[in-house]
Amino acid sequence: RKKLPKPSQVGSRQKQGSENLINENSDIEDLLKEEEDYKDENNCTTETSGALKWKEDLSRKAAEAFLRQQQTTPNLRKLIYGTVTEDNEEEDGESGEELGGLFRVNQPDRECKHKADSLDCSRFPVEAPHDWDLEEVMNSIRDCFVTGKWEDDK
Amino acid sequence: MATQAQCLSYAGCNFLRQRLVLSTLSGRPVKIRKIRARDDNPGLRDFEASFIRLLDKITNGSRIEINQTGTTLYYQPGLLSGGFVEHDCSVLRSIGYYLESLLCLAPFMKHPLKVVLRGVTNDQVDPSVDVLKATALPLLKQFGIDGESFELKIIRRGMPPGGGGEVMFSCPVRKVLKPVQLTDPGKIKRIRGCRYSVRVSPQMANRIVDSARSLLNKFIPDIYIYTDHMKGVNSGKSPGFGLSLVAETTNGTFLSAELASNPQGQGTAVLPEDLGRNCARLLLEEIYRGGCVDSTNQSLALLLMTLGQQDVSKVLLGPLSPYTIEFLRHLKSFFQIMFKIETKPCGEELKGGDKVLMTCVGTGFSNLSKTLK
Repeated sequence: RKKLPKPSQVGSRQKQGSENLINENSDIEDLLKEEEDYKDENNCTTETSGALKWKEDLSRKAAEAFLRQQQTTPNLRKLIYGTVTEDNEEEDGESGEELGGLFRVNQPDRECKHKADSLDCSRFPVEAPHDWDLEEVMNSIRDCFVTGKWEDDK
Repeated sequence: MATQAQCLSYAGCNFLRQRLVLSTLSGRPVKIRKIRARDDNPGLRDFEASFIRLLDKITNGSRIEINQTGTTLYYQPGLLSGGFVEHDCSVLRSIGYYLESLLCLAPFMKHPLKVVLRGVTNDQVDPSVDVLKATALPLLKQFGIDGESFELKIIRRGMPPGGGGEVMFSCPVRKVLKPVQLTDPGKIKRIRGCRYSVRVSPQMANRIVDSARSLLNKFIPDIYIYTDHMKGVNSGKSPGFGLSLVAETTNGTFLSAELASNPQGQGTAVLPEDLGRNCARLLLEEIYRGGCVDSTNQSLALLLMTLGQQDVSKVLLGPLSPYTIEFLRHLKSFFQIMFKIETKPCGEELKGGDKVLMTCVGTGFSNLSKTLK
């Protein structure tokens, strides 16, 4: 949560979502303006500069949070529900070139066929196993156990 | 049925079980084409045919049509009738393959299901009966499926390739399911396990324990691994041994891992010590993935959420398995249910990898065929 994204990641994100960012920024600025006006009316005497600084930070934070949201959540949803229809519609071998006007060369999409006819199993094998002899890897799950650190409210 | 629901069409033999299960529950006929159409040996395999026969035994009025080469299957579901059923499963897949689907269907029968399955109890491919007993049954209990008759008993153990195992599964029926809010897995309070050996020296099972324990003891002291050495007629037809481990949390979540020795005559012999250590590592991986449901039972939890009352259900899962992702797509096409999927980054807590929070509103499915007493 508190971790700031690495500079390289931020760069790529901004490139990807630059359009979104512009829209979002203008929206945020509009919102900010309204808020500023409101604040100004209320307390002109207190340190306005400090408040503004805090707000600048807020807009950046909001933009980042928005981008992060864009990157993770809808992608997972799109990954799951986005390509549903393709599986059913896809027809094989129609685009294959003909040999001597009689035989048709089938060039099946290997990956897709492989998936359609692969093993029906609910097990989820580990793709990249961790090295559980390393102290830092072991520490990554330390708090899953009752012997680990407990949250304050428990 | 008065109105014919529209038939759904799929290609390929993968995900056959979930398609047929969802078809049965939703009453929509399903057509599966191109089953291993390009294979040297095309069509349905023995274990799939055995699965379809089992489905035919527990339902009443199903129509099943298979073409001559076995590459196309049409299934029009009947009513789930249940009752007492005996079935000889194919030894190509373990009983877990069949049991996983029965777990999905059993609560919605007309008569409580009591089924005796014979075949392979533990293999390297499917979840074994030990793991399903330790993880899937407590999960069903969370949804209000409970009672004296709810049990899974291992009568005989059978390893591949010979099989010869036997289990008894009985499940009560429910009219409606409870919605669940499984958002906090709690903390792991103990680890239990079961080491089994059949037709080999019981010493093999004893050798498994120490290596598994030495790794897990670095996290928690409360570890107990039961020994299950079956003899004579109860030990099936092939030799083998294995280990299953289950981590139980304070909030009633069960995470599991298991390993079995190579089947007789296939691959090299596995050292029990290595098997124990690797199984412990797999359990740690599962704990790293985390969530309130074991990775093999993700789809079962999502199904029971979908079939719940019209109320919001939430469940926190680890990363979604490919099987679960396909299951979510199928839930959408059979029940028009789409889940809200939120990624929960792990942050700075030492609780493993990123989690996914799944939220949905149940379809208000109720078991209309359940007899009133």
